[in-house]
Amino acid sequence: MRLQEINPSVKAGAVVIAIILLAFAFDPVTPLLVLLGSSAAACRFGGVSVKKWLLCLSPFLLIAIGYVWSAMLFGRVPSGAHAQILWSFGPLQVTAAGVSRGISLGLRVMSFAALSLLFVLTTSPSHFMFSLMQQCRFSPKIAYGILAGYRFLPLLKEELAVIRTAHRIRRMGVTGGWADQVKQLGRYAIPLLASAIRKAERTAMAMESKGFTGSRQRTFYLRLSVTAKDWLFLAAVVAFVLVSFYISGRLGQLSWYSGEL
Amino acid sequence: MSRWKLKEIVMMSVLSVVFAVIYLLFLQLGNVLTGFMGPMGYEVIFGIWFIVSVIAANVIRKPGAALLAEVVASIVELLIGNAVGPRLILSGFIQGVGAELVFAAVRYKRFGTPVLMAAGMGSAVTSFIWGYFISGFAALAPGYVAAMFAVRLISGALLAGLLGKWICDALLKTGALRGFAIASAERNQGRAGRGESLA
Repeated sequence: MRLQEINPSVKAGAVVIAIILLAFAFDPVTPLLVLLGSSAAACRFGGVSVKKWLLCLSPFLLIAIGYVWSAMLFGRVPSGAHAQILWSFGPLQVTAAGVSRGISLGLRVMSFAALSLLFVLTTSPSHFMFSLMQQCRFSPKIAYGILAGYRFLPLLKEELAVIRTAHRIRRMGVTGGWADQVKQLGRYAIPLLASAIRKAERTAMAMESKGFTGSRQRTFYLRLSVTAKDWLFLAAVVAFVLVSFYISGRLGQLSWYSGEL
Repeated sequence: MSRWKLKEIVMMSVLSVVFAVIYLLFLQLGNVLTGFMGPMGYEVIFGIWFIVSVIAANVIRKPGAALLAEVVASIVELLIGNAVGPRLILSGFIQGVGAELVFAAVRYKRFGTPVLMAAGMGSAVTSFIWGYFISGFAALAPGYVAAMFAVRLISGALLAGLLGKWICDALLKTGALRGFAIASAERNQGRAGRGESLA
């Protein structure tokens, strides 16, 4: 089984369900197990090289670190008197519970990122749109509208280069300080948006003049379907998250935090 | 879905593409800020994520435009390869609902600066409720969470509402919006149009 062969809508659903389930965990073990599990799955079944995986995951490390130290310092103080103080500086106290919560939130960021990358790195954008139309009754008018706009990405890059050169030739784009850079962003943004909107209008007109009505009664060259292996994948993902909860519980680490909400 | 014109949808999509690039830049900035400032780092710039729905609602002026625009924007971001993944569509929907409720409250009749700023704050409210759950803010001190919420509200009002208004006005001057509701509203009302933005 390869992750690329799973129906994109089912795959997206599985990832979102796993993330929502994980939001209930406030211990470090559950997200850590999911992080390891999805990394293994992406490299084993997704054909993602370990190097690429680590490279994609690394930016999230920074967010995770931010969460760790904030939760340590600004964590909710446990109501019980047994709070174990590890370190204190003036009004700031670092408790053992705070450290555990902090690491849990940090690992939560990492496990969410891993689950999301599992989807992003193994799904073709156009297949995802086709699946949204065919499995989720997504309106073809919106789906093809999105695909048409999405295809502008390289064109807009070109456009930006043209605008920049045009400004440069009139000595507008001379780089200055930080404030100048922001002002320049505004000077680029409006022409870029204006030409993008004009392109959008022309594209819509072209699509309609060639008979695109956006009606749901249409045929597709590419047909995607949901088969038993897709449901198996969904069940496996949910089961893996539940097993992670179970292992964490057996280790006496699991905490729900529901009482203090 | 027949109430949407194809050009309106493609316009939302193209807007989202332009902003998706800006979002990617902001995502990097947010990551760095979060590393140094904790979750607060994201709150400062959070408003920029609501701007597409403010601009689209103001340009198209139809019920549902704010919601649809935010959903379209999240799908486009996902297609371009945002590593936040499919969860984005859910976040986009939730953010869109916040702005949509504000426009519904004024019955899609007023699109002045205060309404647009309120729409940005509406998205801030709904997205914060979602964020509280999904990012585990329950583990943080209530005072800190309250401060994060206040910063997000201000960010929504300024970066989505005020900046969105400025961009709409600037685009209107270029004539690129001639085929959309915002331009005909401006034409029909003439002097009143200016009065409306003061209201």
